[in-house]
Amino acid sequence: MTLNRISACFVLLAACALLGCGQSPTASTQGSGGSSASYIAETEPANPKGVRELIKASKNDEEVTMVGRIGGSASPFVEGLAAFSIVDPAIPYCKGEEGCPTPWDYCCELEKMKENKALVKVVDGKGTPVAKGAKDLLGVKELTMVVVRGKAKRDAEGNLTVLAEKVFIKK
Amino acid sequence: MFSLRLLPWEYGVRNLMRRPTRTVLTLAALTIVTLLVFVVVGFIRGLEQSLSVSGDPAVVIVYSIGADESVENSAIAARTAGLLTASLEGIQKRYGVVHASPELYLGTRVSVGGSDESLGLVRGVTDATPLVRRRVRLIEGRWPGRGEVMVGKLVAAKLGLKAGELAIGSSVTFDRHTWRISGQFSAGGSALESEIWGGLNDLQQALNRQDLSLVALLMSDAAQAPEVDLFCKQRTDLELQSLTETAYYRKLQTHYAPVRALAWLVVALVAGAGVFAGLNMMYGAVAGRTREIAMLQAVGYRRRAVLASLIQEAVLLACAASLLAGAIALVFFNGIAIRFTMGAFALRLDSVAVLVGCATGVLLGVVGALPPAWKALSAEVAESLKAI
Repeated sequence: MTLNRISACFVLLAACALLGCGQSPTASTQGSGGSSASYIAETEPANPKGVRELIKASKNDEEVTMVGRIGGSASPFVEGLAAFSIVDPAIPYCKGEEGCPTPWDYCCELEKMKENKALVKVVDGKGTPVAKGAKDLLGVKELTMVVVRGKAKRDAEGNLTVLAEKVFIKK
Repeated sequence: MFSLRLLPWEYGVRNLMRRPTRTVLTLAALTIVTLLVFVVVGFIRGLEQSLSVSGDPAVVIVYSIGADESVENSAIAARTAGLLTASLEGIQKRYGVVHASPELYLGTRVSVGGSDESLGLVRGVTDATPLVRRRVRLIEGRWPGRGEVMVGKLVAAKLGLKAGELAIGSSVTFDRHTWRISGQFSAGGSALESEIWGGLNDLQQALNRQDLSLVALLMSDAAQAPEVDLFCKQRTDLELQSLTETAYYRKLQTHYAPVRALAWLVVALVAGAGVFAGLNMMYGAVAGRTREIAMLQAVGYRRRAVLASLIQEAVLLACAASLLAGAIALVFFNGIAIRFTMGAFALRLDSVAVLVGCATGVLLGVVGALPPAWKALSAEVAESLKAI
């Protein structure tokens, strides 16, 4: 009986040690993390504009609604951060039957990328980028069509980054 | 009462000595088969090792987005290095020196002393390059000055030359210019050892190029790599992409997956042929000993004991062959340089190669001995005793 109790204690201690070794699922260096659902919009924002139109017309710090397809390079997602490139929906990507292993890199339309590609950064309430990959955070993948609403950030070279607090995923 | 009475150990050993010619021939056959396995596994390990040690997890390379995975095809603006160092905070800095290496990288036809041209890999470097390429060690001579280059220790193999032909003071010719060799370097077995390094400005002038192929950045922490990726994606106008060096070589490794698969298939085929050789030998050995095996059973040895003795003979021979093959491979084949498309690598008989080679050798003995021994033991004792 005593032996059984000692064994049970050992098992309990071992279990505690193992649990203690595990990484905290909420550990992050940037942003508040938060639950994935809080960054996903339930309803589609009205009157979204394409990436190309916003690159041409948007101003710095302007509130914009942008629609686009995740892609523009072989790896459009930034590892460890909720940030990804999106491409204007009017730009066609390689179809499956063409045998391209990475159609989301738009390899046949590379020369059009400069004026049709923007970066989306998912940020928390304080405007800090969320320190979790967008694939895990939003459940999106390459070529997913998304609509984002947020603040446009323009630089002197005309590049566009949208700081979005919510992302609507088109089915 | 359940203990098994085995035949004396010496019985099996003496049996091998009774037929010296057959034993020596079998030993030779098994040695050749095992040696082939050693060489093929050494080839695979050398290739894997070369690509896996080539990446430094803290180094990020930035190159043109249109170049796919071929840095040779990349062309980026010369100002990129300055832009990156001014914009990114995670790059390693020591004593005010930023660890960023702008580089030109090309595959070009190289000839040495009027020899035939071979495809060589040339990298234009600066004084900052060794800060980023931390495995590089100058093993002979000095850093290249104007009109000079230094060569990696596997360049001779890559160009199909003898090592002496790239001695310090000799010349190499590429892109209509002749360069004096000022030194030789090693890089911890990485792909850099197959490259020729010259001054970046010198090469740019010789090639009439103002651009770069890539910028290599040493990050203060490997976790800072996403910062570079974010910058590249933000600056769409620069058309850049970034990859950690380890990821770059991992991608290259996937290109060589069919070669590795083929090499493992060769190992399987060679081992299969070896098993048949072993089977043939053991069938011959057992067929001539039918009466002896029956007699052993008649005097009270169980079938399992006789089977164990037969396997012992085969395994002894296979172990001797493995040791012999291992010694030959280590002395004559280990470290031999082999050319391949993106450089050269050394055939590497590491612990895995030795384990696979020896295990295959021993397996040949066991698997080769079992079927004929089983066949001999399944015959009736009385009939076997009368066999001629």
